[in-house]
Amino acid sequence: MRRLATDTWLEKTSQGGLYSRASAQPAWSQLLAVPAARVARLGMANSNTGSLSTFGQRNKRGKQIALDDINETGVLGGDLEIIEEDTQSESGPGVSAAQKLVNQDGVPLLIGAVSSGVSLAIYKSVIQGSDVTQISQNSTSPDLTNFPDLLRMSPTGAAQASALAGIVNEDGHGKVAVTHLTNAYGVGVAEAFDEAYGGESKLFPHDQGKSSYSNVITSMADYDADAWLFVTYQPEFTTMAQESYDSGNSGEVALYGSDSVKGPNVLEQTPEGSLEGMKLVAPSAALDQDNYKQFAQAFRDNHDTEPTAWSAYAYDAVVTAAIAIEAAGSTDPAEIKAEARGVTGPGGTEVFTFAEAVEALGDDGSASDVNYQGVSGPIDLDKNGDPKAFEQIFQIQDGEYVSQGFIAGE
Amino acid sequence: MSQIFQYFVNGLVFSSIIVLGSVGLSIVYSIADFANFAHGDTMTVGAYGALVTLPTLSGIGGELLGLPLGFYGALLVGMALAAAIAVVTELTIYRPLDTDAIGMLITSIGVAFVYRAALQATFGSDFRSYSIERSGPIPGIENALNVTITERATVMIVCAIVLVTALHLLLQYTTLGRKMRAMSDNPELARVSGIRTDRVLLATWVVGAALAGAGGVFLGLYSQIDPRIGFDLLLIVFAAVILGGIGSVYGAMAGGLSIGMVHEFTPLLTDVGIPIGTDYASAVAFIIMVVILLVRPSGIAGGEAT
Repeated sequence: MRRLATDTWLEKTSQGGLYSRASAQPAWSQLLAVPAARVARLGMANSNTGSLSTFGQRNKRGKQIALDDINETGVLGGDLEIIEEDTQSESGPGVSAAQKLVNQDGVPLLIGAVSSGVSLAIYKSVIQGSDVTQISQNSTSPDLTNFPDLLRMSPTGAAQASALAGIVNEDGHGKVAVTHLTNAYGVGVAEAFDEAYGGESKLFPHDQGKSSYSNVITSMADYDADAWLFVTYQPEFTTMAQESYDSGNSGEVALYGSDSVKGPNVLEQTPEGSLEGMKLVAPSAALDQDNYKQFAQAFRDNHDTEPTAWSAYAYDAVVTAAIAIEAAGSTDPAEIKAEARGVTGPGGTEVFTFAEAVEALGDDGSASDVNYQGVSGPIDLDKNGDPKAFEQIFQIQDGEYVSQGFIAGE
Repeated sequence: MSQIFQYFVNGLVFSSIIVLGSVGLSIVYSIADFANFAHGDTMTVGAYGALVTLPTLSGIGGELLGLPLGFYGALLVGMALAAAIAVVTELTIYRPLDTDAIGMLITSIGVAFVYRAALQATFGSDFRSYSIERSGPIPGIENALNVTITERATVMIVCAIVLVTALHLLLQYTTLGRKMRAMSDNPELARVSGIRTDRVLLATWVVGAALAGAGGVFLGLYSQIDPRIGFDLLLIVFAAVILGGIGSVYGAMAGGLSIGMVHEFTPLLTDVGIPIGTDYASAVAFIIMVVILLVRPSGIAGGEAT
C-alpha cells in the first residue's frame, strides 16, 4: 500500500495511483473552470495542538508568510501549496499525520515536526528508506545529529546546553538541579548540559502533560541546589513555576531555562515577579538582515506581534523546500532530495529571498549555484543535516525578556 | 520527616482533584452502565465554564478561605455547564443510540473529541489561567509545621470534602439516592418496581458531570487550563475507579485518594535509595493498582455496589 508519489502535479492524470486525487475524481478538474494552474504540494506535520501548540501556531504564521512570498514568483511556474496535518505534539498522532501526507497525499517533501521525539518517530517509521526529504522546522535535540538525512532548520540543543553551562559556571553556581522532559529533546539537552557543566548536578526527569509536578518540585527543593535548570515545555514549566511559587521556593534559587520554556504566555500565567532574574538561552534569527526585517514586518502586519526565531525557522523550512524543488526542476522526490541540503550553502551565489534564488538558478541551475541566507541565519546545513547555531541570551527583568547578548556556535 | 508530611499534603491536594473526577466517573459507570471516556473532557468543559464567567463575577466583593467569592460563583457555573452539556449529550446521543456497553464506550470517545475540538475552536489551544493572584504558601502553617500549602489548595481540599459528603448524603438519605442505588443494583427490577429510570439516569448525569466540572475547575485553579487538561488526567482517574472497584462510589473515593498519594509520594523512593525517578510516578501508581487488584480482584470496595 505504500506509495511514494513521483509526481504531485494535479492535472497529470494519466497514471495516477490508488490515492491520486485527479484520477479518483476525473470529473472535478473538468467541472472546475479554473485555468490549468499547476500546483506543487508539500506536506507539513505541525504541533497545532498539545504541549507545543504555541510553537505550532507561530510555525503556521511563518509558513503562510513564506507561501505568500514564494507564490508571488511561483514554483516551476505554478503555485506552491502545503497540506498541513496536526501531530498533537506527540509521536503516535505525528506518525499518522506523516503517513497520511506521504502515502496518501504523496508529497515529495515533508516539513515536520516541532518536537524532536516526534520528528525522529516520523523519520524512523515513515521517511527512512524512502526518497522523501524531511526537514524539521523546530527540533533541537542533539540526538537528531545522528540522523544525517533528517534535515532541520533549528540548531542543535547541544549548542544551547553548552551556552547554558557556560552561563551557570560564570554566575558561580556549584550545585545545579536539572529537570528535563523524558523525550529526545529533554534528555538530549540535559545530558549535554551535564557533560559541559563542571560542578555537581542531578537530573530530575519528568513526563510531558501531567497535571501535577509538585513531586518534582518537592524533590528538587530537597536537593538544596544553588540553581535550577528547566529543560521542558511552556505548559509544563508554567505548572512547575506555579508550584514552586506555591511551595515558597521563589527567590531561593537562581533559575535557568532552555528556549522551550520561554514565551509571553509563561510570564502572563505565572505570579508576578516569581521568575525575576531567570536566564534563558534561545536560538536567534538573523535580526540584522534585511530579509528578516521584511519577514518581521509581514509578521507584524498580519498578526500584530513580533515573530519568534521558531517562526523564522518555519519560514526558512518552506523557502528551502521551494528552492530545492526549483533546483531539481521537478517534484520528483529523489531529485528534490539531491538538492535540498545544498541550496542552503555554503558555496554558490548568496541569495536572501526565493525570487533571488530562482533568478540565480536560471533554467538549469543546481544546488551548488545557490546559497540561501535564511531569515534565521546562514543555515549552511552540514553533513549531519544541522544548521549553524546562533544563540541569544535573555534575562527576565521587570516581567520581560531582556536580551543579554549573543553566542555563535560552530 | 517534614519531607514526608509535605508529600502527604501534596498528595491530599492532587487527590482532591482525582477524587472528584473518579467519583463522577464511577457513578455514571454504575448507573448508565458504560465507561465514559468523555468524562475527562467534561472536566475541561467545567474548567472553561468557570474561566468564562470569572471576569464578570470577580466584581463580587468579599473573600472566603482566601479566594474571592466570585470564584465560588464561577465554580458553580462550571459545574452547571458541565452538567448541562452532559444532559444534552445523554438526550441527543447516548439515549437514542441503541447499542451495547462497548458501543457506548466508543461513542463516548467520539464525544470526547467533539468536546475538546469545540473548546479548542472557541478558545484556542494556548494555556490560560484564572485571574486569581497566587498568594504563595500560608505563612502560619509554614512556620508551625514546616509544610507549604496555599490557600487555593486548602479551598480545593475543603470543597472536595464538602462535595463528596454531599454525594454521600444524597445517596444514603434521599429518595433520589435510593432510586439511584436501586438502579445500579438491578435496572430491570428498578423499572418494574415503578422507578422512572430515565429520570434517574438524567439525575445521575447531572451529579456525575457536576462533580467532574468541579474537578476541572480545581485542576485549572491548581495549575492552568488548556483543552487537554481533562483528557490528560483521564487515565489516572480511570485507574482510581478501577482500583476502588468499578461502579462503587466509595471505592472511587478511596481509589482516588490512593492514586493521588502514590503519585506524590514517588520522590520518597529516591529518598530511601531506590532509583525510581518522579517521571515514573504514573507507572508506580499503576503497578500498585495491579498489585491491589491481584490481591483483591474486585478492587478496594469490591462487591459493595453504590
